[in-house]
Amino acid sequence: MLKHEKTKWIKMLLFSSLLIMTSLGFAQDSYNLTGTVTDELKMPVPGASVVIKNTTTGTSTDFDGNFAITVKSGDVLEFSSIGYAKKTIALNGQQVLNVILSEDASQLEEVVVVGYGSQKKSDITGSVSSVKAEELAAFPVLSAEQALQGRAAGVAVQSNNGGEPGAPINVSIRGNTSIGASSAALVVVDGFVGGALPQPNDIESIEVLKDASATAIYGSRGANGVILVTTKKGRSGKMQIELNSSYSSQSVSNRLDLLNASQFAAYRQVINPAYVQGNAETDWQDLIYRSGTIANHQLSFSGGSDKINYYVSGNYFNQKGVVINSGFERFSFLSNVDVQATDRLKLGFNAYANRGTKDGVQSQAGSGGSGGGDVISTAYRFAPDTAVRDANGINTTNPVGDQFDNPFAIATESIDETKTDDYRANFYADYEILSGLSFKTTFGFSSENRTRGRFLPSTLIGQASVQGGIGSLESLKGTNILSENYLTYTKEIGKGNLTALLGYSYQKSRNESFGAASQNFISNSLSYFNLGAGSNIQTPFSSLTEQEIISQFGRLNYEYDDRYLLTFTARRDGASNFSKNNKYSFFPSGALGWRISNEQFLKDSETISNLKLRASYGVTGNPAIAPYQSLANFESIYSNVGDQVVNAVVPEQLANPNLKWETSYQTNVGLDLGLLNDRIGLTLDYYTIDTKDLILGDSSAPEYIGFANLTSLRNIGEINNKGFEITLNTKNIVKENFSWSTDFNWSRNRNEVVALVDGQDIFLDSSPGSFLQDETHLLREGEAVGVFWGYEYRGVNQGTPETGTAGYPNSVAGDELFSDLNDDGVIDGDDRKIIGDPNPDWQAGLNNNFRYKDFDLNVFFQASVGGDIFSYTFLELASGESNATTEVLNAWTSSNTNTNIPSANVREKRITDRFVYDGSYVRLKNLSLGYNIPFDVANKIGMNGIRLSLSGQNLLTFTDFPGTDPEASYRSSGSQNSNTNRGFDYGSYPNIRSYTISVNLKF
Amino acid sequence: MKNIKYLGLLLVVIFIGCSDLEEVPVGRLSPDGLVNSPQDIQTLINGAIGNMATEAYWGRKLSLPIMLRSDMATIGDAGTPGRRQEVDNFSMGPDNGMVTALWPKVYQVIAGTNEAIAGAALIDAAPDQIDPITGQAYFFRAYTYYHLVRLFGAIPYLDAPVDNIDEAKLLTKSTVDEVYANIIKDLEQAKLTLPETQPSSSYPTKATAAGFLASVYLTLGEYQKSYDQAKFVIDNETNFQLGLAADYQDLFDFSKQSSTNEFLLTLDFNGFSDGDTGRDYAPALTGIRGNERGDIGGGWSVAVPSVEVYNTWDGRDYRKAVSLDTTGIFGGVIEPFVKFPEFDSRNIPSAYIAKYTRAIGPTGTGNGRASSLNYGLMRYAEVLLTAAEALNEITPGSEEAAGYVNRVRERARSGNGADYPENVAGGMSQTDFRNMVLDERKWELAFEFQRWYDIKRRQLGSEVFGANGLEPQPNFDPNRDYLFPLPFDELNRNPNLAPNNPGY
Repeated sequence: MLKHEKTKWIKMLLFSSLLIMTSLGFAQDSYNLTGTVTDELKMPVPGASVVIKNTTTGTSTDFDGNFAITVKSGDVLEFSSIGYAKKTIALNGQQVLNVILSEDASQLEEVVVVGYGSQKKSDITGSVSSVKAEELAAFPVLSAEQALQGRAAGVAVQSNNGGEPGAPINVSIRGNTSIGASSAALVVVDGFVGGALPQPNDIESIEVLKDASATAIYGSRGANGVILVTTKKGRSGKMQIELNSSYSSQSVSNRLDLLNASQFAAYRQVINPAYVQGNAETDWQDLIYRSGTIANHQLSFSGGSDKINYYVSGNYFNQKGVVINSGFERFSFLSNVDVQATDRLKLGFNAYANRGTKDGVQSQAGSGGSGGGDVISTAYRFAPDTAVRDANGINTTNPVGDQFDNPFAIATESIDETKTDDYRANFYADYEILSGLSFKTTFGFSSENRTRGRFLPSTLIGQASVQGGIGSLESLKGTNILSENYLTYTKEIGKGNLTALLGYSYQKSRNESFGAASQNFISNSLSYFNLGAGSNIQTPFSSLTEQEIISQFGRLNYEYDDRYLLTFTARRDGASNFSKNNKYSFFPSGALGWRISNEQFLKDSETISNLKLRASYGVTGNPAIAPYQSLANFESIYSNVGDQVVNAVVPEQLANPNLKWETSYQTNVGLDLGLLNDRIGLTLDYYTIDTKDLILGDSSAPEYIGFANLTSLRNIGEINNKGFEITLNTKNIVKENFSWSTDFNWSRNRNEVVALVDGQDIFLDSSPGSFLQDETHLLREGEAVGVFWGYEYRGVNQGTPETGTAGYPNSVAGDELFSDLNDDGVIDGDDRKIIGDPNPDWQAGLNNNFRYKDFDLNVFFQASVGGDIFSYTFLELASGESNATTEVLNAWTSSNTNTNIPSANVREKRITDRFVYDGSYVRLKNLSLGYNIPFDVANKIGMNGIRLSLSGQNLLTFTDFPGTDPEASYRSSGSQNSNTNRGFDYGSYPNIRSYTISVNLKF
Repeated sequence: MKNIKYLGLLLVVIFIGCSDLEEVPVGRLSPDGLVNSPQDIQTLINGAIGNMATEAYWGRKLSLPIMLRSDMATIGDAGTPGRRQEVDNFSMGPDNGMVTALWPKVYQVIAGTNEAIAGAALIDAAPDQIDPITGQAYFFRAYTYYHLVRLFGAIPYLDAPVDNIDEAKLLTKSTVDEVYANIIKDLEQAKLTLPETQPSSSYPTKATAAGFLASVYLTLGEYQKSYDQAKFVIDNETNFQLGLAADYQDLFDFSKQSSTNEFLLTLDFNGFSDGDTGRDYAPALTGIRGNERGDIGGGWSVAVPSVEVYNTWDGRDYRKAVSLDTTGIFGGVIEPFVKFPEFDSRNIPSAYIAKYTRAIGPTGTGNGRASSLNYGLMRYAEVLLTAAEALNEITPGSEEAAGYVNRVRERARSGNGADYPENVAGGMSQTDFRNMVLDERKWELAFEFQRWYDIKRRQLGSEVFGANGLEPQPNFDPNRDYLFPLPFDELNRNPNLAPNNPGY
């Protein structure tokens, strides 16, 4: 019914506009105009559009760039083609017109992709940072997220485990706006919401939408900021073939100084006089590290004919990790085809496929048990006087402390492979209904398939010999369907310009998983490919979650006289995962811009070429609720009654019909300044984000209520992020033979916990399970998120603790002393306080490009200053149950009392500020020297361009952190952990230094 | 017209995605419609049992504290977490991690039994079908509260599933007397409906309910009632198929324990675990660090008897040999316990508990976690000793009471053919008999999680933790330490539970 009325309305509209156009068409004498469209190199531009302005009358050029059109004197012709700047020519009776279109390099920079459209940068009222293709592809990285680090103000990139190949990476924008839900930015690839990032080499540009004015169009998923990725498209003209190849050599740039075999034995003998030195001398770090390599090749074909543009690329990436037996291999393909099907209809198809294989060695310890499944922390802990195998050829386990396998055996014998296949296909049709009114529909499908197989052979004594080998296989299949439809209307009204957008979107995602595991295998050679051959079958699992989102969205941009800008945005989201009483959410935003430089008093200024003030306020959301999370549930558990496994359920949770999404209220004030014809560009932004209705486990419900899921979730918390961002781009020197430009960004974000459930502190624990600690950091109102919680170390007990200090019960000379905060003479839980803050004071990136004739030099520094690191690594190495750092050579003894290092002894792994370090660093992320072989030389051998470059990554790091990498993280994956577990180091992947040689060929 | 065709097509595309956004979970257990038959009630009870066989309950958080709290086990590894040491040396506070982890799990077990009892009322089934199953729920609810009331004293008592959190938040503590009254009511109900025998000792029978009634009354000092219940079990031992195992060692051998008739109730483990569910830690917690015996990678030396336990226990008692390991194997060589610290500085020179390491069967993980040993929650020997102790309080000096003890002693002697422990004669004074039977319980039920409750109900703390006790603990305070503190965070959540127990 509704549909019928709509079509009727559109029919009338079309008819009346047709009438108007026809009547105009006959008002004056018309004639035939012919001509040619070429580029600056005099090459014809086929398929260029030639339209009489403000009409729908038009044509396009043929393969040789020729066109013919009926016009009348006084008409204004618009010439346009993808990749070229639009050109407008007013006719005054010419019969022949030859037009030269210039490439729109400048235009590209000025147009910024925003949600559901693009805008001239000068018209932007929100806070948007752009990262260009050459920055993303400056050095080879596995994923584009890594390439974003340090490139845009307010964007923080943190790998879950340093340089481990294939480790997940968190990208957060303007701090973490949640506690329990993900704070990761929403990724939109070519309009596909939630797409996987393509290879850096295939990306044309990335726009980072930061304030609510820019992100509210993504409604309930916009609160964490949005990363808009535009992939490369073909340009009209002859086919261009481009080959990018690079090869990197990688090495571990620093190691820990640990005891050697005889030092170790002497140290053990202080603790246990009966210890007998083993007969080996093993440097475990030597054994597990090697030189790694990265080979990265990309071949692309792009071009366009009359009406079709295409870009097709294939990429191969192969990394051999610096830890033996680790690696990552990936093939990926991207294809973009755009077709001007009719004058009014444009069609496009975008396809992406990727297969990744992670050949994993667990480099970092998991959370549970006695630890010991990883290679890096065990390489530190394992006794250096022990060999890989004992006299009987059996893998050794650590002779002191908890039993665990030696890291070489783990790295060479355990299997952990993850294979990921990603596909995405996205179709669009863009139809111009009327001049200024167009309709775009997109339909996309994506699929992610991941399988992870693991096998621990029974030769791993500590992990799997008792079980006779452990094998498991898990599979996840995620699919996503997205349909989006929107109308865009543009209209000039006097001195003003109006753009309106109205749309509807439907998205459905579905995740299926299953897994099986088995133990006690007939043979270790089966790996995880014959789980049935294990005699001890473990409980299998499978699950399904589905989620639907239906949205309406709209935006209104009004620009008046190139001076005043106004933007309103709104989105209404309905989502199945929202609770029964809160199915729909609404997210509005508004922004104002004032282009002061276009006011009379500045218009003619030689100095100030651009000055714009921006202000925005808006509301965005974080869905935060997992599917089915608000429903009542029973949980099935393992139960063994009468030595029979039986069906068993326990009450898990009550229904929670009022649970809501989390809401961020963001204010942004910004200033864009261009000086000296934009040779100096400065952008300043100040923002404050109040995130309310944070979903927190409300532990105010007493535990005696008895549900397995004790935390009834409530929208109760509040955090605030406020910050300041500076982006400065300068063209310092612009000469024909020499140029120097600098891009600098600096950002400071402070977060503060504003409200928690009943003002109660939330204590958190990120320590390895074997440490048996309960509280390592906390959330407290008025403090930053995730501050460290523990004891204040005051040196060694010399016999009588000095005033204000005390030891643990029964402390003797040589033991640790701590501040006795409550002056009761003994150290217990009440003597703890906040001992560190992992949140950096500021982060920055500094990029310098120099060009001298055909040479160029890029120097890119990245810095993070003021964040603390708590090192579980050093805590464990000081606890007397493992090898130790050489620090213990200076341990307290009755004859060496003037020291800060407690006596050698077995010590509980309590959290103290002795292991809190300043994690500030400045890092030379990339240094590269490139040479472009002169065009005429290249041309002679049939090439369009040859570029060679040499580069180094992470060549220098300035830091006081004594561990292996100040970009450490531990247990930071998963929604809550990525927000709260910051600045922890435990057997983190070491810093990797790379040398890269790369070549770029254009045919 | 062409335009209209396109537009029509596109409008169709727009409305493809219509949905009411209702969630229809597949593969999840919704409480609506789950409970339809007696078997579904059993499934809920199995959940409660499964919840007991977890780390936070019998796997570690209940079993370890009540073991450490007694005079029969203390801390071995000085580096073990403070929360364990604080339980042992009577310095625990309301934030002690053992207590805060145990508390919610105990109430999850209770919630499961409450769901089962409430669900059973909605089921249309013949009483003889449903009542024996509901009886299990009443039994396990009583069993769980019995631990709670002994550990914490006055506690919140819930006897129905919670559907309104705001109301449940305001609950006040029930007094110790009220909780015991409810426990007795539930056990009586269970005794009424449970069958005389079950296919497995992990399901309670009429005898189990009576045995626990005897234990409850003994704790309350209602000796006549205690004796009556114990006597009921003993008089019907044939019907209940109960008796003492011939070899005491068999009770702690995973492969033999199920074929004995001695258990009135067990909690079963079979070497498999799903995370912390189905996993016990006793082999690791009580084992000797670095010990190669048993091939479970040694233990963690956490709960270890003080060497006085070894020194005090008569060497002729077969039960001592079953209960303690006096040697370990290191580097293939059998070494005496005085040398244990030489092989790992976290060991102490004392005999270690053997009941949970010697014959535990396959373990699910390394380090002896997830053993196959079933835990005896009540043995027939305990019922005999309960009858003896109760009868002595009513009628001192009876042959009957001595006879119960002698059955237990006779079995002990038959293990190694020794003439120790010799039979007790009738006619002992009431005090002597009382002390004798408490000592008998200490040895017979050594490390079986009973000793602390005996110390508490007989108020023996000042004596056994005094300078001449097995485990001197100068910090012991009788006004405070017979109760655990209620978890501080629970008091914050519901201030109606204040004040905490005296001294915390």
